[in-house]
Amino acid sequence: MTVELQHPMKADATAEEVARGRFVSGMRGLILNDLAADMRDGYEKRAEPAFRKEHGRAPETSREAHQALRGDPAFNIYSAMRVQAQKMVWASVADGVARESDRLAAEAANAPGSLALNPDLEVPRNVHAVDVHLMPGSYVRGGDGLEAGAVYDRGLAIFSMGLMGANLDDIGLSMANYIKLRFPDFAPKRILDTGCTIGHNTLPWKLAYPDAEVIAIDAAPGPLAYGAARARMQDQDVHFEQMLADDLKFDDNSMDVVWSSMFLHELSKKQRAKVLSEAYRVLKPGGLMVHMELPPNGEMSAFDGFYLDWDSYYNNEPYYKGFRDENPPEICAKAGFAEEDFFQFVVPSIGIYGEDAVAKAATGDAQEAVGQETVGRLADGVMWFGFGAWKR
Amino acid sequence: MSDKLLQPEDSPPGLYDENGNARFFADPAMDRFVAVVMNLAQEVWVQEERLLALEEDKGRAPVNRDAVAKEFIDRVFAPVRGA
Repeated sequence: MTVELQHPMKADATAEEVARGRFVSGMRGLILNDLAADMRDGYEKRAEPAFRKEHGRAPETSREAHQALRGDPAFNIYSAMRVQAQKMVWASVADGVARESDRLAAEAANAPGSLALNPDLEVPRNVHAVDVHLMPGSYVRGGDGLEAGAVYDRGLAIFSMGLMGANLDDIGLSMANYIKLRFPDFAPKRILDTGCTIGHNTLPWKLAYPDAEVIAIDAAPGPLAYGAARARMQDQDVHFEQMLADDLKFDDNSMDVVWSSMFLHELSKKQRAKVLSEAYRVLKPGGLMVHMELPPNGEMSAFDGFYLDWDSYYNNEPYYKGFRDENPPEICAKAGFAEEDFFQFVVPSIGIYGEDAVAKAATGDAQEAVGQETVGRLADGVMWFGFGAWKR
Repeated sequence: MSDKLLQPEDSPPGLYDENGNARFFADPAMDRFVAVVMNLAQEVWVQEERLLALEEDKGRAPVNRDAVAKEFIDRVFAPVRGA
C-alpha cells in the first residue's frame, strides 16, 4: 500500500514515479511478510538443526542465529531482495525530488517554520560517514537544503507500506497517546524531541499536549529545515534547532519530557550513554524520559533477535545490534535514573489496532509481551516498543 | 560514501565485497542478478500501469492499483517462495 503525504511538499509525481513507488512498496510487503516467513521456516527446518548438529545445542544468541542462517537459501533470497528493495526505495523518489527542488524551496519559503541552524556545529561521523539505511548521501545529502528531508519523507512513505500512516507519524501518535492515557495527571509544559530527523514523530506530542512548548533537535541541518517547514504547513507550533543530543544547550532541570524515536540505535555506545545522561540533566524533577526503540535482544529468541539485527549488518545501521545487546534498565540507571523509576512497554500501532487498543495497553487491561514477533518489526500487525524513566 | 570502518564490530568475515556491499550468494554475480530481476520487474510494472491507464481511458472500470500490483508481484516472484 502506498500513501500520499499530507502537506504541500508532497510529491507532484509523474504516473511513472507513482508506479515505481507502488512496486517497491509491494515488493517490501512480499519480502517483510512472505519471504520473512520463509526464512523462519528455513531456520527451523535447516539452519537451526544444522547448528545443533555441529554444536550440540541450538543457537542461543542473535549472532549465532546469524551464523546458522548465512548461506541458507531462504536467508540469501530474503536478504538480497531486501537490500535491493531498500536501494529502490530511495531511487524511486530521487528524480522527483531533484525535479521539484525549486517548487519545494518556494513552498518552504511560504511556510517559514521556527528553525535555528548552527553552522559551527560539527556533524558527527555516524550521521555523515555512512549511508544510513542505504540512503545515498545519508542525512547530510544536499547540505542544509531540503533535499535530504524530501528524499527521507517521500522514501519513508514507500518504505513504510502504509504502516506508519499517511503522515508517517504512527510511532509518535501511538506513543504520545499511550503516555497521556497511562499518566493522565502528567501535564508537561516543555517537551524535547532528540534526533527528530524531519519531526514526523515530534508533531504528535504537540497534538497530545497542545499547551506545551515543543522543541525538536537533530545534528543534520537539511532534515531540520525541511521538518520546520513541514510542521508549519501542518499548523504545528514546534521549534527546530540544530543541536547534538549528547551536548544539549539547555539548562539543568528545564524539560518535562525528553523523547526520541528510532534514534538511540544510530549512536555509538559512548554517544548513547551521554545522550541518556544529558536527558537526565535537563529533565526537571518529576520529568519523563521516553524512547521508542527496537526491543532488546535479551527479551527475544535468537532468531527473532537476529531478524531485527539484520539491519545492523545489511542496512547500514552499524550501531543497531550494539544498542539491542544493551539492557535498557541498566543504561538508564547509569544515566542517573533510579532503577525503580524505569518502565518499558509495548504499544499497539494506533493506525492498525485503533485508539481502544492503545488505551487498553495504557490502562493495563492488555499487556503485550516485548519479545513477540510483531514488536518492532515493520510488517503486518506491528507494535512499538518503548522504555523510559522518571526523574525524581 | 559508506565508511567501511563503520560496519558492525562483530561482523563475521566475508559479509561484504571489496566495495562494502553486502554479499549473500556464493557466486557474487547472483547478488547482482537478483537486483537486475527486481529492476526489470519494476520496469514491467511501470508499463502495466501505463496500459491500465490507457484501458481505463477507453472505458475499462478502474482497478485497485495496489491490489493488482500485489497480484503481479506474487505471480512474478512465486518461484522464490518456499526457498
